[in-house]
Amino acid sequence: MSGIHVQELGKRFGDRVAVEALSFHVRPGEVFGLLGPNGAGKTTTVRMLTGLLQPTEGEATVWGHRVDRDGELLRKVVGLLTEQPGLYDRLTARENLRFFMKLHELDEAAAWPRARHYLERFGLGGREHEPVGGFSKGMRQKLAIVRTLVHDPKVIFLDEPTSGLDPESARTVRDAVAELASEGRTIVLCSHNLAEVERLCERVAVVKRRLLAMGPVRELRHAGQALEVRVEGEAERFRGALAQLPFAPNVLAEGPKLRVMLADDAQAPDVVACLVGAGARVHSAVPTQRPLEEVYLELLREGRG
Amino acid sequence: MAFRPKRALAVFWKDFLDLRKNVGLLVSMMVLPAVMVLVPIGVVWTYVRAPDHADLRSVALFYDPTLPLGASAARFLIDKTLTDWFGMFLVMPVFVPILIASQSVAGEKERRTLEPLLASPVTAAELVTGKSLAALVPSVAITWTAFVLFCVGVDIVAWPLVKMPLMPNALWTFGVFVIAPLFAFFGNGVAVLISARVSEARMAQQLSALVVLPLVGMVGGQVAGVLKAGFGYYLLQGAVVLVLDALLLWASIRLLDRERLVSRWG
Repeated sequence: MSGIHVQELGKRFGDRVAVEALSFHVRPGEVFGLLGPNGAGKTTTVRMLTGLLQPTEGEATVWGHRVDRDGELLRKVVGLLTEQPGLYDRLTARENLRFFMKLHELDEAAAWPRARHYLERFGLGGREHEPVGGFSKGMRQKLAIVRTLVHDPKVIFLDEPTSGLDPESARTVRDAVAELASEGRTIVLCSHNLAEVERLCERVAVVKRRLLAMGPVRELRHAGQALEVRVEGEAERFRGALAQLPFAPNVLAEGPKLRVMLADDAQAPDVVACLVGAGARVHSAVPTQRPLEEVYLELLREGRG
Repeated sequence: MAFRPKRALAVFWKDFLDLRKNVGLLVSMMVLPAVMVLVPIGVVWTYVRAPDHADLRSVALFYDPTLPLGASAARFLIDKTLTDWFGMFLVMPVFVPILIASQSVAGEKERRTLEPLLASPVTAAELVTGKSLAALVPSVAITWTAFVLFCVGVDIVAWPLVKMPLMPNALWTFGVFVIAPLFAFFGNGVAVLISARVSEARMAQQLSALVVLPLVGMVGGQVAGVLKAGFGYYLLQGAVVLVLDALLLWASIRLLDRERLVSRWG
């Protein structure tokens, strides 16, 4: 069974619940986003799925390996990029990579060309004999990504992969992620960079200890669609009228603009009628999709409630 | 989970490479062996320089009131120094692995390299083995090299008086090749255990180094004439340390549990 299958997964540290009842699956070749604020349980989830922590509830398989009992086999097929690059400063880039090749019991002669390919790809070609201590933050991050890929993992967990990278390098990393997914690898991306998640991920899960929402980015955005209405004068004075609507939408008013959150397309004519009824001169009413960031923040607010 | 020697050797290779490039640690590792070799050579030289000094006999009689009148007090004190110094010499194989293992285990936490390492297929037993080898091999090699230099130095300075090589003798040869590795294992085990519990290499070193105090205390007892060192005395020390080694090995593997390390330090 390839990909990732998570069923009612939970983790407690003593009395503290870090993750509860988390269920999702990720297909091979899919880039899946795991979103959530700090302390939401993203790292704990990734640690359970990479065999570093034992779940206290539920079960999960990664590329056919049970996370609670196949730790060693599991760690052979997963690659983990941690938030900190975690490199050995006194060792050269090549020595750092060689160490992980040895831990994965790879034949260096066979594995090195792949490592060199990624080093070249990330602009580190020719720097492999330099001690890592002299590398910039971005170079270290790129080398850590190469280390993650050195054993040709089937499932890759990336925690903030473009953190500390300049725009050009970040783009190289994003292209590489898309390329790795196209090779049939499963990729889980943990990030606070919502624009990046929106660009790379087909589906996202928003977690805050438990699952708040999950689905294709397009659907999540659609679920959070809005009607942007331009009226004459200050829009603020019509908020009260809109609050009287049976579905009591969330409304943002800024100058002559109103942003009315809708659960359904069919609510749009009611909003316009309500505004006209309240004496508004409506110049335009345009349905828009909300940015993922807005959907995300609203989900978190709801989650808090 | 099967123990894979190749992965343990990979950990050893990386730690050993890292040690070779850590100039500061190498220098601090060399200070103690230099002291352990030069101090006894200096003491022997002092006795050889004035073998007929009247005070030497008083000192010798303090340790052995039955010393025959015609016996050389200087020779007696040289033999006693060599026997007693072995107790002090054992501080080296305990202390050097503490320096290395503290850096290697607690250092992984400090440098945030622990999580990527634990996300690889390496097991706790392989990790402990690799890291222990990386601390033990240099420590034992340094101890044996220091022993060779010590023997050569003592024989050179003692020659004018004794006209024969004093070293290596049976006690030192057995002690350095059998008991010293056991002590090195002990120092390493203590450092691994403490490093797994604290967050900084420096703190791990300071706490681990406390284990040399009983050794120094025993040498103090020998110098004060309270304890009489000899083959049986050191053999008993070795046997006690062997038991402690087995306990430490068991505890180290248990304590280097992946989950515990990750949730505490990862």
